[in-house]
Amino acid sequence: MIQIFNKTLLVLGAAWFLLGCSTPDEVKGKAGVVKVVFKHGKIAGSPGSFRSLLKRFEEENPGIIVKDETLPSSTDQQHQFYVISLEGRSAEFDVLSMDVIWVQEFARAGWIRDLSHLLPPEEREQFFPGPIGAVIFEGTIYAVPWYIDAGLLYYRKDLLDKYNFDPPRIWEDLVVISKTILKGEGDPNLRGFVWQGKQYEGLICNVLEYIWSAGGDVLNKDGKVNLDSDQAQVALAFMRDLIVRYGVSPQMVTTADEEATRRIFGEGRAIFLRNWPYAWNLFDREGSKVRGKVGVAPLPSFPGFSSAATLGGWQLGINRYSRHPKEAEALIQFLTSPEIQRWMALEIGYKPTRKALYQDERLLAAQPFITGLYGVFLSARPRPVSPYYLMFSQMMQPEFSAVLVGLKSPEKALQDAQLQMDHILSGRPEA
Amino acid sequence: MRPADRYLGYLLISPALLVLAAIALFPILAAVGLSLQRRLPIFHIAAFVGLENYRFLMADPRFWNSLGNTVYFTAVSVALELMLGLGIALLLDRPFSGRGWMRAIILIPWAIPTVVTARMWEWLYNVEFGLLNHLLMATGFVTESVNWLGSPFWAIHSAILMDVWKTTPFAAILLMAGMQTIPRELYLAARVDGAGPWAIFWHITLPSLKPLILVVLLFRTLDAFRVFDAIYVLTGGGPANTTETISVYAYKVLFQTLQFGYGSTLAVMTFACVAFISLIYLKLLGRDYWRRLVQ
Repeated sequence: MIQIFNKTLLVLGAAWFLLGCSTPDEVKGKAGVVKVVFKHGKIAGSPGSFRSLLKRFEEENPGIIVKDETLPSSTDQQHQFYVISLEGRSAEFDVLSMDVIWVQEFARAGWIRDLSHLLPPEEREQFFPGPIGAVIFEGTIYAVPWYIDAGLLYYRKDLLDKYNFDPPRIWEDLVVISKTILKGEGDPNLRGFVWQGKQYEGLICNVLEYIWSAGGDVLNKDGKVNLDSDQAQVALAFMRDLIVRYGVSPQMVTTADEEATRRIFGEGRAIFLRNWPYAWNLFDREGSKVRGKVGVAPLPSFPGFSSAATLGGWQLGINRYSRHPKEAEALIQFLTSPEIQRWMALEIGYKPTRKALYQDERLLAAQPFITGLYGVFLSARPRPVSPYYLMFSQMMQPEFSAVLVGLKSPEKALQDAQLQMDHILSGRPEA
Repeated sequence: MRPADRYLGYLLISPALLVLAAIALFPILAAVGLSLQRRLPIFHIAAFVGLENYRFLMADPRFWNSLGNTVYFTAVSVALELMLGLGIALLLDRPFSGRGWMRAIILIPWAIPTVVTARMWEWLYNVEFGLLNHLLMATGFVTESVNWLGSPFWAIHSAILMDVWKTTPFAAILLMAGMQTIPRELYLAARVDGAGPWAIFWHITLPSLKPLILVVLLFRTLDAFRVFDAIYVLTGGGPANTTETISVYAYKVLFQTLQFGYGSTLAVMTFACVAFISLIYLKLLGRDYWRRLVQ
């Protein structure tokens, strides 16, 4: 017994010795060096390339080291991680990368720091208006736009040329072009127009593009819900018609996400595709079946209204409980600087949030198609900018899905969604 | 038993009880506590509201829809799993060459993590590229691809089929183990008395397996009732919430829209349903069974 006790003491002693020796190094680091922890989703490109960027920051800012930690690739899980950590007042990370729809929520909860001083009015002007609108909550800026996304129409240039069509400006033209080419080609494996109709966040992005391009919206100027409108009915009915009446979109869109549709188009089996800019790099790389055959255009609209793309993208903010806000700010300024945004566009294909870069010679030489994106990003619209947005989304998703699969009429679905959303805004979010 | 022994007994099990209290009782009580609050961290709201959330739940059509989906999913998948499992167990109970291998092989679906299974089936069900549609078209059973996960009727049944594929082996293995314990003499005696295979199955195998069948039902019902990962990955609850189970709904309310109070109410309701189902099964199994099991 005593022997065992002695051995235990010995082991504990050894452990204490080892821990004791390593403690000063771990906690304090080299004299005066501050460690900034940066949490983000998976970053495209080779694993080493983003690291090399952070290394450059460390060299330019002696005294700061950056530890970057990748979260699971599903955005739902990233959101969940932030919510649990921030609600638990975790100081384990300093800089966080946020989806465009989270900033209002996090700001309302008081989880992220005021960064207004990083973006004075003249600096704000440098960025696209969409993302800037999404990071302002009650007049205060809570994050800096890092890179931008928006819905685009990809089309098969070769097929449209063959039948002498220009990319469609209005939705009905898209139907006509699809029908003509489908008939002319007579290929049973060719589909007309593929998009994302699965019940998830991507469905909202798709539906809003139709509602906006019919002149409707979710919230009106006073912030009241205005979803149940004639414009929204027209939009939803048209989406259902694409599948059933016109037969231009295959049944599979009701279960499709970005990747499912990207694959079909990438296999050369669809004429039109709605997707984010990331797909371009995949279509354009060596070995792709559609390389050189793809064009990009703004999404069509209904007659008399302008095209609308849903805004996506990621913003950088600082954890309210961070112990090193100054150093974290330095990292954010570095990552959102013109030079680094250009580097990210060239190296990993992330689109800059700064407007001037779309006239940058080096960038244009490498990726000429980004000139076409400028107009789309400039007019890209954020999903309802509200701390209630994630609740709204959960109420709209099943209703929109019900229309696409034919369980509800557009009128009924919109009424039902409006009722639930009104209820939330009426002051009792839980009931 | 002397009183001193009894105290010693309590003393000896107290560490186990403490651990149980810490890892099981405390979280349950915490969830019940939360379910009585209106708790929205985004809006800094945390107020005690009594049974308000439960009142809201009773009138929440989305809750009733998800409860209906859960009950349907559970009843159909567990019934199919039991019947198929029994069939497989009967087949594997007879000696044949390679039986050991077969027993190992049928366990594979059970051994694959659910998330991986769900991703795999998502591809099998794919309308454009899926193997299932390809096979059905090639054999002429259908002329047009079936929209397995995108149509309200097929989506829930596709989820059930996946669950049956995954968990039938579990039922089969348990039932097979049970069959091994039935004395061979019983079968011999029955055959001597002129009983056919059907009579033997009905009067000997099935009654002897009763306790194990109930155990299989208990485990599978509880698992199926709480189904989350399979559905979440396969359909996310869509289309139009036709595959949304209570657990998926609770997850969305808790972690996607951050309504901690109402989300906990949903979680507590799931717990209550599961506890109720367990009680029924335990009652059916009877005290004797547990006494025998302990001995």
